[in-house]
Amino acid sequence: MTATVEPAEAPGTSLHGEIAISVRDLHKHFPIREGALQRVAGHIRAIDGVSFDIRRGETVGLVGESGCGKTTLGRCVSGLTDPTVGGVYFDLSGQDHDRLDSILAVPEAARTEEMRRELETLETSHRVDRLGKQEWLRYRRNCQVVFQDAFASLNPRQLVREIVGRPLKVHKEASGDQLTERVVELLERVGMGRQHLYRYPHQFSGGQRQRLSIARAIALDPELIVLDEPTSALDVSVQAQILNLLNELQRELHLTFLFITHDLSVVRHMADRVVVMYLGKISERGTTGDIFDDARHPYTHALLRSSPDVDDDPEAALVTLEGSVPDPARPPQGCRFHTRCPVATPICGWEVDDVVRWLEDEPGMFDSLTDVARHDEFTAELHFSDEDAAGQLEAALSSEKVPVEAREALIELRRDGGTVQVSFQMVGEVELTERKPGHFAACVHERAPEAK
Amino acid sequence: MTLAPAPGPAGNAVATDSVASVVGLRIHFESKAGRVYAVDGVDFDIRDGETLGLVGETGCGKSVTARSFLRLVPMPPGIHAGGSVLFRPHQRCQHCSGAGCEVCEGTGRLPTSCSKCGGDGCPVCNGTGMETIDLSTLPEKNLREIRGDRIAMIFQDPAKALNPALTVRNQIAEVFYQHRTTDVLERAGLDTSPNPLLRRHVAQRSRLLERALLALPPLRSRRQKIEGVVDDMVAAALAETQIPNPIKVMERYPHELSGGMKQRVMIAQALACNPDLLIADEPTTALDVTVQARIIELIKQLQGRHKSAVLYISHDLSLVRRVCDRVAVMYAGRIVEVGTTEEIFANPLHPYTRGLLAAIPSRTHVRGQLVAIKGTVPELIEPPPSCRFVERCSYAVDVCAEIDPTLEGTEDGHEVACFIHNPPSVAAELPSFSRRTS
Repeated sequence: MTATVEPAEAPGTSLHGEIAISVRDLHKHFPIREGALQRVAGHIRAIDGVSFDIRRGETVGLVGESGCGKTTLGRCVSGLTDPTVGGVYFDLSGQDHDRLDSILAVPEAARTEEMRRELETLETSHRVDRLGKQEWLRYRRNCQVVFQDAFASLNPRQLVREIVGRPLKVHKEASGDQLTERVVELLERVGMGRQHLYRYPHQFSGGQRQRLSIARAIALDPELIVLDEPTSALDVSVQAQILNLLNELQRELHLTFLFITHDLSVVRHMADRVVVMYLGKISERGTTGDIFDDARHPYTHALLRSSPDVDDDPEAALVTLEGSVPDPARPPQGCRFHTRCPVATPICGWEVDDVVRWLEDEPGMFDSLTDVARHDEFTAELHFSDEDAAGQLEAALSSEKVPVEAREALIELRRDGGTVQVSFQMVGEVELTERKPGHFAACVHERAPEAK
Repeated sequence: MTLAPAPGPAGNAVATDSVASVVGLRIHFESKAGRVYAVDGVDFDIRDGETLGLVGETGCGKSVTARSFLRLVPMPPGIHAGGSVLFRPHQRCQHCSGAGCEVCEGTGRLPTSCSKCGGDGCPVCNGTGMETIDLSTLPEKNLREIRGDRIAMIFQDPAKALNPALTVRNQIAEVFYQHRTTDVLERAGLDTSPNPLLRRHVAQRSRLLERALLALPPLRSRRQKIEGVVDDMVAAALAETQIPNPIKVMERYPHELSGGMKQRVMIAQALACNPDLLIADEPTTALDVTVQARIIELIKQLQGRHKSAVLYISHDLSLVRRVCDRVAVMYAGRIVEVGTTEEIFANPLHPYTRGLLAAIPSRTHVRGQLVAIKGTVPELIEPPPSCRFVERCSYAVDVCAEIDPTLEGTEDGHEVACFIHNPPSVAAELPSFSRRTS
């Protein structure tokens, strides 16, 4: 069957609509603390330079494996955590948006005094983590969150009336009987009713709890809802009910969704545009059609081919990825996906860490590795306690045991007793580049070839 | 409360090639609100070497059914209210001592003939001539010999199922110490004159004082030899699940491993003794899609090699379709449909199976128009004698709320419990797929 989800069919999905949220060069690093003094020993780079826009009335799907930073990004967008560098801008007019981009395009040191002043004004009135009190209150009304675990996000000691009516109370929208009526209205909107008003969360099923979360989220008539895996904990038949409800609400209330999930079949069903994240960076973004039918990044290929779909041929083998996600405290150089990429090239960023990672899986050799003296990410001396291991490594690095691309990227390999010096070709980060209007991918291939 | 005798195919001819049969199993739970009929009359066979998928939504009783194989359901509050789980264990092939030869078709296992009749067929073995054990009445001591040896289990969350205080090596070694005591001694060359202290050590029965003695010469070297043998066995078991550098992984604790790696360790542990039946309870639910794909390929590959039967429990139909030979669909404590995977997916007979398949978002669905099943799973406290799906069924008629449909076979082994296909003799109006009633 060839029918695909037509993004143009849903209302408010014009790809050139007004921009609701702009994420610009967002970084979020979490410190790793060690020892009795809690000295900062490094940083987990949960989000490492992410930029994209969300337009009014559309659904942006954010996908990736666990640990890729998608939830952290959702928390930054909703203002629950402050970013380390960069920011989330909301309510920018088209003019301001262009102005912001043109200022940010200039390196910080080269900005003129006027640019700085202008940026400062833009940031204090539009950047989520720098808003004034009034503006911040307005943003919080306009941006709501629905979490994955509906049980953990509903206060177990409060009644439904209090839970769903809470935002109305906080923002002094209603009280007393009026509040009750507003809550009933909201409950009816999500397919529940007056009979549920005076119950506790534990008296509801998973699907109903998620409906309550949604009712609470739409209470203040927000513009944007961040949906953080809203259906992962639900059964398929209930998931279908919730997804239908979300679509219905979006149509009626002109909501904008940031839909975070790891389930590609849900994204294909829900999203107008998709952002694929890997290890804190965007590896590809574009319209749903582009991502699912014309993926340019090998990671997107791998994700698509490893998630089974009921309509697929069950005999076709699932494509599997080798290895595991690298440590986000020391993300790989070049393209972050090169360590697992089936179509990697010599210019994808092979580095010293690749040798160390490879050594970890080799019995014997890793045990006799005593020290890695790094000059930079691409050049280092590996010291071994016995010469045999060093000899083995030297032999292995020029044999079939390591990927041919890594061997081609190796410019220097010298052994001196128990010391092996390796030096790889230096490579910069692989940036997102536009492949066709609105479709960006961060890959050295123009069109990533299918895996072997 | 009197319990009706378990209905089902007890006494009927049981397929001779089935490694386990669940016959009219009923597991109930006592709760404050009343008795919960979590599993209420479940019948199915698992054939030797096949993968049977057990699918259903949360709370339909699929995990309880699987756990009752090894009696892992806590009682109380659980109540075994009837029925049984019959298991036909295999024994190690004498011709190749488990290595795999022509006689045992490379599996290393051969069927055991019935101890009562010697393979001629008697009431105990239901005429199959094969050793048949009722797992629901077996004494705990004998059950311990089966757990992890003849029937092994992989749990949903490897982070919770592995002991955080033991290294991977010690964890897998337990299986060998428990079930392969003589094997370990034999491999260490100590089987001719086993010192009682060493024997107790291998069977993990050493006390504190004995352990102190084993740490001193002259027993120390022999104990170390045994440990070396077990190390090799553990490394071999790990290597089979394609873990890179098993020697290093052996010394790690579970928290040092990634989710996919932990699941591999669990699989290695489960398959260490070459079981006849492997129960996989949602083995990939806690994993990412890319890791899930690898674990599934691994399970398929290992199953092809060991030819163990697998009971694969999942709520994900698209996975079940790839992994299983046959599928049993469970709803509210009952099996509503059983058939081959192709049959179930190409021609689902039960309205619930149809609903489940339609609810999965796929590329053919128009956005916002998923076919959801209305309502929620009913509470299983004292259910009325009606079809359990009646409240959510779009085709239900009066008779569905009055009589309980039983699982009946149509042609080619496809069984379904629905009046649309097996009309009752007394009914004014019959349900049909051509007429929606709600």
